[in-house]
Amino acid sequence: MSTQTSITGNGDQLKTLVVVFLRGGADGLNMVAPMHDDGYYRARPRIAIKAAEAARLDGNFGLNPILAGLATPYRAGELLVVHAAGSEDSTRSHFEAQDLMERAGEVAGGWLGRYLRFRGATTTGALSAIAVSRALPESLRGAPAATVMRSLDDFTLGKGGGPLQASLKKLYAAHTDGLGASARDTLNALDRIKQVRDTTYVPAHGADYERDDFAQGLKQVARLIKARVGLEAVSLDLGGWDSHLTQAAIMDPNMRRLNGGLSAFYRDLGKTMEQVTVVVMTEFGRRVGENSAFGTDHGRGSVMFVMGGGVKGGRVLSHWPGLTPEVLEGPGDLPVTINYRDVLAPILQRHHPQVDLAKVFPAYELKPEAVYG
Amino acid sequence: MNLTRRHFLQAGSTASLAAVAAGCSKVDVPEVLLPGRRPLTVPEGPYVTPAGNDIDLVSHALNRLTFGPRPWDYQSVRKLGPTEEAAFAAFLDQQLAPERIDDPDGENAVRRFEVLNEPLGELFEYQEKHLLDALVRATVLRAVFSERQLYEVMVNFWSDHFNIDPSKGDAKWLKVADDRDVVRAHALGNFPAMLRASALSPAMLWYLDGRVNKKGNDADKPNENYARELLELHTLGVHGGYTQKDVMEVARCLTGWTVKETHHSQFGLGNVEFKPFQHDRGEKVVLGHVIPRIPKQANAEKIEELGRAELDTVLGIIGLHPATAKFLATKLCQRFIADEPPAAAVSAVAEKFIASGGDIPTTLRTLFATEGFLTTRGNKLKRPFHYIVSALRATHATTDASHAIQDYLLRMGHAPFHYPTPDGYPEKAAPWLGTLLWRWNFAVALTKNELGNETKIDAEKLNASFKSEEGLMAHLLGRAPTADEVTASKESGATLALMLAAPSFQKC
Repeated sequence: MSTQTSITGNGDQLKTLVVVFLRGGADGLNMVAPMHDDGYYRARPRIAIKAAEAARLDGNFGLNPILAGLATPYRAGELLVVHAAGSEDSTRSHFEAQDLMERAGEVAGGWLGRYLRFRGATTTGALSAIAVSRALPESLRGAPAATVMRSLDDFTLGKGGGPLQASLKKLYAAHTDGLGASARDTLNALDRIKQVRDTTYVPAHGADYERDDFAQGLKQVARLIKARVGLEAVSLDLGGWDSHLTQAAIMDPNMRRLNGGLSAFYRDLGKTMEQVTVVVMTEFGRRVGENSAFGTDHGRGSVMFVMGGGVKGGRVLSHWPGLTPEVLEGPGDLPVTINYRDVLAPILQRHHPQVDLAKVFPAYELKPEAVYG
Repeated sequence: MNLTRRHFLQAGSTASLAAVAAGCSKVDVPEVLLPGRRPLTVPEGPYVTPAGNDIDLVSHALNRLTFGPRPWDYQSVRKLGPTEEAAFAAFLDQQLAPERIDDPDGENAVRRFEVLNEPLGELFEYQEKHLLDALVRATVLRAVFSERQLYEVMVNFWSDHFNIDPSKGDAKWLKVADDRDVVRAHALGNFPAMLRASALSPAMLWYLDGRVNKKGNDADKPNENYARELLELHTLGVHGGYTQKDVMEVARCLTGWTVKETHHSQFGLGNVEFKPFQHDRGEKVVLGHVIPRIPKQANAEKIEELGRAELDTVLGIIGLHPATAKFLATKLCQRFIADEPPAAAVSAVAEKFIASGGDIPTTLRTLFATEGFLTTRGNKLKRPFHYIVSALRATHATTDASHAIQDYLLRMGHAPFHYPTPDGYPEKAAPWLGTLLWRWNFAVALTKNELGNETKIDAEKLNASFKSEEGLMAHLLGRAPTADEVTASKESGATLALMLAAPSFQKC
């Protein structure tokens, strides 16, 4: 790419935040198993991840073997695992808990939308925020620009738009003000998107994206990031984690998608990963004890993953409370010892040092976690 | 609305029911089922278009006092007087008295959203998504089709000034009433009256936490959220000369006002009430005015009377305060003149605001007579809502403002009722400069009729409405096209899309 600008005007400095929301309440305890905690094995005699099968992270925790692909970025120091994390919502209702996590409080709009609105930049590119989902997620409500991506064809002036584009270039050339500058950025972006559309995408470093929607969504995101069209925030959904019965049958295919998608994305982006932060989160974890149907019911604390973006990875960040009965919350749930906002805040600040965090996370006293060491 | 009526409405095709009902006078036919009023007659083309090389006063008025001219508007307004100035004055007189403007098209466009007329309690019977959709669509449709254009422009202005994001709490239901009973009821009325209506709007009490602002015992600390925004955003402005202490004192004056909530009671849902024993009875000092303590021996009735009155005392102190006048005048001048409006215009408007007791039409009349307004033309960037509506009006499009239109508004971050914080959508150009891609994309989609089945233009008819292609261009530019514009249009092979995407059409 010859030109160094992007449509937000800060070119290669631009950082992209990719938020993956695991909808349905993903079981953090079976994604990242606390192998050091007997309580875990006592509570889950039939469905616990055996220490011998797990991909060891540190002396205490091990990845579910299906997520073993994530050990690669972990060992490269580019994946941080956050355990016993979540929100203050204790309703254990999917709707309430997702709502709270996406809005970040009994406030209006979503945290991602407010972040984009109050990140300290005066203008926002047309492609600054994209949702890879059926509808715009609550988290992106109130964003200065947000698009549900269906196809790259949306980002064009249609068939035969060439002459129109040429005429627009002429008309806007006379404008030396902000509008003219913005028009030139937009015309650049259109050229880049055209290149993206006109070339068959070959992921770098032999990365191989699976055919499922999640991986394909990440693939499109990778293309747009590399084409530098001004992408600052992406929201992707991976739903269906509500594993009340026969947990493995429900979770394993989802974990395969998560593992496959994130692994391919990580590999594909290579060094660009320094400018991209992927955050994986879920509305709540599951009950510590398994139920009679080989499943788990709605709980509290779960895991978050933070990948790329200069994160100090290769660690499991946790204030592990233990799983003894007196520690467990309510009907027997892993307590939330790290509020998700305290993980997000330092990331948002790294992406935009001027961000007004009090507006993004109102009515909450931030205690930022040491995501960057 | 009673249940039978709603079931009746849900039963099926309203059109066929209306046909049946029309022949039967004994049935109590809901108004929504009757055929709409006859639309206004559209004048015959070809239309007169602006001929000057610069934007003339009539085009300027249509740019600023309306959401943009329809094909015949320039001709119609120009005919109102022998000179441009006289035509402008007559148009302004009309627009400042919206109740005297016949508006069948505006009314017909929103007839189907009868939920917007529901009383407070009934609103809770609807799904929140349905309500938000109705609000957004009615707002777009009125902006596109209503003849009361300056009124709709002011609705848009106050909707930002008293912004409420309905995603919070019961505001999901109650914003419908706020839009109707606060914003639309007072948009061209009296500011202190609107301020009071807003202070007691159940949606506002939810949105800015007034409903939990109480002093039931010594441990209760007043919730300052509303008090702060009342001073900072609704009246005095952030540099309006109040202190943190004033915010706290105002909050104390407003303790006790609350709203009946969804999960507490089914009776009187959404009603605003004053709870005397949650009111702070101590002495308060607001901007130097002393509000005496409520005597210890006062009974509930007396506490209620004095407590309620403190709301009016506070609003009386700030409603027509010089700082409020300056703050509002600045915002109005930013809206109608320039992002950085001339100081002379701001002070003239502020003075008239106070002198008229906050009468909005009188204040606007002064604004529209300032040199700043009259001479600063074509310099304001249309915000995305204005852009979309002006494009629909300019092309005489039919639309139901459904999915495709809302989608573009969301993409550009300017869908009505989607702004998260109480300051409302920004007015200045900078935050909106990144929206060009979607404006161009919209121009193409509209002119190619790719916005779904309900949003359509008749390009052939539109072209035939003007004597020449230059005439069409003049209509869209508000002035005669330049040689470069004519050339660019010929080369593009898509004059209409190009003009809607052109720099001049982004501005007003």
